[in-house]
Amino acid sequence: MMKKTWRTSALAIGAIDAMALSSCSFSGSGGSGSSSAAPGGSSSSGAAGGEAVSLTMLVPTYSDTKTSVDGVGTKARWEKVVADFQAKNPNVKITLQVESWDNLETVLKTKIQGNQAPDIYNGGAISGFVADDLLAKAEEITSPETLSNFQDSFNTNEKVGGTQYGLPLLASARALFYNKALLKEAGVEVPKTWDELLTAAKAVKEKTGNPGYGMPLGSEEAQAEAMIWSLGAGGGFGNESEITVDTPQNLEAFDEMKKFIDAGVTQSNPGSTQRTPMMSGFVQGKMGFVYALPPTVAQIKKENPSLEYGIAQPATKDGSAVTLGVADRLASFSKDQAKKDGVKKFMDYFFSDEVYVPFIKGESFLPTTKTGATAMSSDETLKPFLELLPSAKFYPTTNPAWAATDGALKSLTGQIEKSPSADVLKQIQAKADAAS
Amino acid sequence: MAFLAVEDQATKGRVIGRMVIGLIIALVFLVPYLVMFLGSVKTKEEILSYDSQFLPRDGWQWQNYTEMWSTPETPLPFNMASTIIISVAATLLVLLVAMPAAYYTARFRFPGRMAFMALVILTQMLQPAILTTGLFKEMLLFNIADTWLAMILINAAFNLAFATWMMHSFFAAVPKEVDEAAQLDGAGKFRTLFKVNLPLVWPGIVTAVIFTFVSAWNEFAASLVIMSTAENQPLSVALTKFIGQYATSWQFVFAVSIVSIIPVVILFFFIEKRLIGGLTAGSVK
Amino acid sequence: MTITPAPSQGKVPKQRRALNGESFLQAFPWLAPAIILILVVVVFPAGYMIFNSLRKISQSGLDKGWAVPGKKDPDWGIFSNFGHIFTDPNLPRILWNSLVWVVVVVALTVVISLVLAQFLSKPFPGRRLVRMAVVIPWAASVVMTTTVFYYSLDPNYGPFNLLLERFGLVGAEGIGFTKDPALALGAAMIVAVFVSLPFTIYTLLAGVQSVPADTIEAAKMDGAGRLRTYFSVILPQLRGSLAVAVLINIINVFNNLPILRVMTGDLPGYESDTLMTYIFKVMQDDQRIDWASALSVLNFAVVAVIVVIYVRVVKPLKEV
Repeated sequence: MMKKTWRTSALAIGAIDAMALSSCSFSGSGGSGSSSAAPGGSSSSGAAGGEAVSLTMLVPTYSDTKTSVDGVGTKARWEKVVADFQAKNPNVKITLQVESWDNLETVLKTKIQGNQAPDIYNGGAISGFVADDLLAKAEEITSPETLSNFQDSFNTNEKVGGTQYGLPLLASARALFYNKALLKEAGVEVPKTWDELLTAAKAVKEKTGNPGYGMPLGSEEAQAEAMIWSLGAGGGFGNESEITVDTPQNLEAFDEMKKFIDAGVTQSNPGSTQRTPMMSGFVQGKMGFVYALPPTVAQIKKENPSLEYGIAQPATKDGSAVTLGVADRLASFSKDQAKKDGVKKFMDYFFSDEVYVPFIKGESFLPTTKTGATAMSSDETLKPFLELLPSAKFYPTTNPAWAATDGALKSLTGQIEKSPSADVLKQIQAKADAAS
Repeated sequence: MAFLAVEDQATKGRVIGRMVIGLIIALVFLVPYLVMFLGSVKTKEEILSYDSQFLPRDGWQWQNYTEMWSTPETPLPFNMASTIIISVAATLLVLLVAMPAAYYTARFRFPGRMAFMALVILTQMLQPAILTTGLFKEMLLFNIADTWLAMILINAAFNLAFATWMMHSFFAAVPKEVDEAAQLDGAGKFRTLFKVNLPLVWPGIVTAVIFTFVSAWNEFAASLVIMSTAENQPLSVALTKFIGQYATSWQFVFAVSIVSIIPVVILFFFIEKRLIGGLTAGSVK
Repeated sequence: MTITPAPSQGKVPKQRRALNGESFLQAFPWLAPAIILILVVVVFPAGYMIFNSLRKISQSGLDKGWAVPGKKDPDWGIFSNFGHIFTDPNLPRILWNSLVWVVVVVALTVVISLVLAQFLSKPFPGRRLVRMAVVIPWAASVVMTTTVFYYSLDPNYGPFNLLLERFGLVGAEGIGFTKDPALALGAAMIVAVFVSLPFTIYTLLAGVQSVPADTIEAAKMDGAGRLRTYFSVILPQLRGSLAVAVLINIINVFNNLPILRVMTGDLPGYESDTLMTYIFKVMQDDQRIDWASALSVLNFAVVAVIVVIYVRVVKPLKEV
């Protein structure tokens, strides 16, 4: 009896084995053009001899089929880009790997330690890799035309010690989203200053029973919330050479956040509220104000199109316009020239308007290229964000200590719900200092 | 209800009492998976709805179970196959490796016996999640990174401890006279193990099999870094592909989770009888 | 625990010794597969972890030579990473949390499992189905089970809060079970017990099933009551499987990462961290692979000490 079971399972293994082997030749060549392709059943012809070069590519998931505005999803989107590129450049073969944001850095760091760093990488801060001299320079992986087509502010933001490494892939700017119905019920106007926002949020809370202001200080994205408030007081977290968290401006900003918490106008437990679930509360019309970004517009369109909402500039201490901009980038860990040349071909192809603009539109982000911005300037959804972009300030991602600072902001900022702001800022600064 | 005759003076009332208690226990253990199941047949929006209901409000979304197999996010049929192959092979390997060791250490005293058992339990104390980089480097060295073999070896090695110790304790409980009798009959050690001892320790083997299979089935940390091709990744890693930056397709995460429970339950269904088999086997002198 | 090679004896038939007194060389073929598997797979990554704990490693994971002390850390030479973690003000709290976590979870698991294993060994119609239900938390991945608990406990859309709301126990606001350190840690413990139960129950059930029926009969004949039969006949027979189950539980609960990461992951600060979750915060938030490696070595040492104490006291390996 047992013997028989073993034999049948061995047979089963053999069968599946053969199945997988036959698909082996396809695996990693990226999906076929049609998104209905069966898993693994892509149709690339493979490297067609000559001086073929194989590249690896590691990217995170921005959206999936069900959550993206056009129903495509990040993986299928990249697969199409890669497949179309390979069709035009049969000598360059790209093996695509897509992981969730949660796992991206774990996978990347393991690959680096195993000498398998990707030739094309899409991620957040890269200054740590620059410090270890792991990255190819931007000029090695793009043509001068492509490089000069990026908006200058984004290019500047990618420079470490005067040299550019990352290529700005996409951008976002935060704006104040408000629920028109709740504001009307509370009888308040769209605020511009902290005081006005507090008054408005109080009114929403008292008159409608819903949280006036959604403050997500949980580990998911506390750094963004903290940065918006700090910018509102003229603060920030430093620059390329110095991380400054424990400053009077930031203290003022953190105290202001505390004021909101103590006034009871936020959702409960702001210190441990994650951004994504909270945002779904706003989308469902259960919140007066939140800071959100372009993909939120897409989310509302998909999930609750009847929501009446507006988009305004972030509230600041004195009402002046400033916002948090975030840019994600592409970078390359390629060492040898043939691979760098392959990457260059890919980047020049990808950042051309015909490829790049649909990609950015599909993910509901803002373009980083000049011609892309022109092409998308008529897009009503993105307009309010494009207008805010000039006043956007970025995280000091070019500082090698930023990654650790970012981590400290994520895991410690929420403590202001219970501890004095000054203590929390001091703790985060200490973590930043230990890393620099 | 033939077994009632065998059993102690179980009155009808007592049996019904047991059934009621059994039902309550079953419910307690099932409730979280009921929540999971109900989530898997809701729409993504409804799962995170503030006005949620227990049952699907917007209709039962059975198509989640069909759609999930062919999303561009992950090639789920392949993930399923990889998971099955890795888990089955790792379990067989563990049995093959652990059984002789467990038998021998339980039966014989020799220098190095305790050292061996200590070495084995050491592997259990290491948490694979903190060893992933080392494992990745090692598999690159063996040139088997991103293959089933790598994960089969890893899963087998890190689950060896329980199987060895568990079977050891069962072999040790078998009366020595059983072995002695067999050996007097001229049976070698292998024969003694397979023909005489094995039938007596089924419950231990079954427990070891389930334990190993389940750990291999759900292993995540090492698979994440070692299996880079989407088709090779097990279900535990495939699940994470539905998690986006600002939105997650929870309906698929839940549906895949439900489906991934089923093979283990089937395995269990078929080998659970062996646990009862131990009852009679144990009483044979 | 003593390793006493039995003196080689001549033919002493019908004596226990006949089965004992083997040499290591005789034993080796039986152990070799296990030893080889461990040497091939486990030794390298474990050694790599220890090596990393003595090195300075950049945030991208590059080796930068032997460890050097940080600005505020004591100079312990190549052990500077340990210098850092041992002067970390969070450490006492974290060790304490780990200890409480293990003791509470394992104790509750064992007590509940003993009761349920006994119950599930009794015959009743539908027992097989109940046993199948009990195995499901084991079959499901721990991460997903924990995620479902986390989801259920959410104040806004969690079914558990909805249930409380329906019964009028809480308002529409709900309770943020995963938002408060004490509540979140408590909830995490319940989840940990829940997922540890099936394995423990089955290990014990296997033990209960192996108790010869006639032994129980004999006890009954002697007029022993149910409890007495249990404590004097069944429980001693369970000793072997119970000892192993507890040992594995101690190790697994101590090393558990996903449950605490999900259930207490929303909380700021380190108030409810155990060694394992702290290691991951150091690795991913502070970007210090070297400190995390040192903490991992410490983690391993702590588990090893607990296991040695346990093995000394409980002696799960029967002397042959």
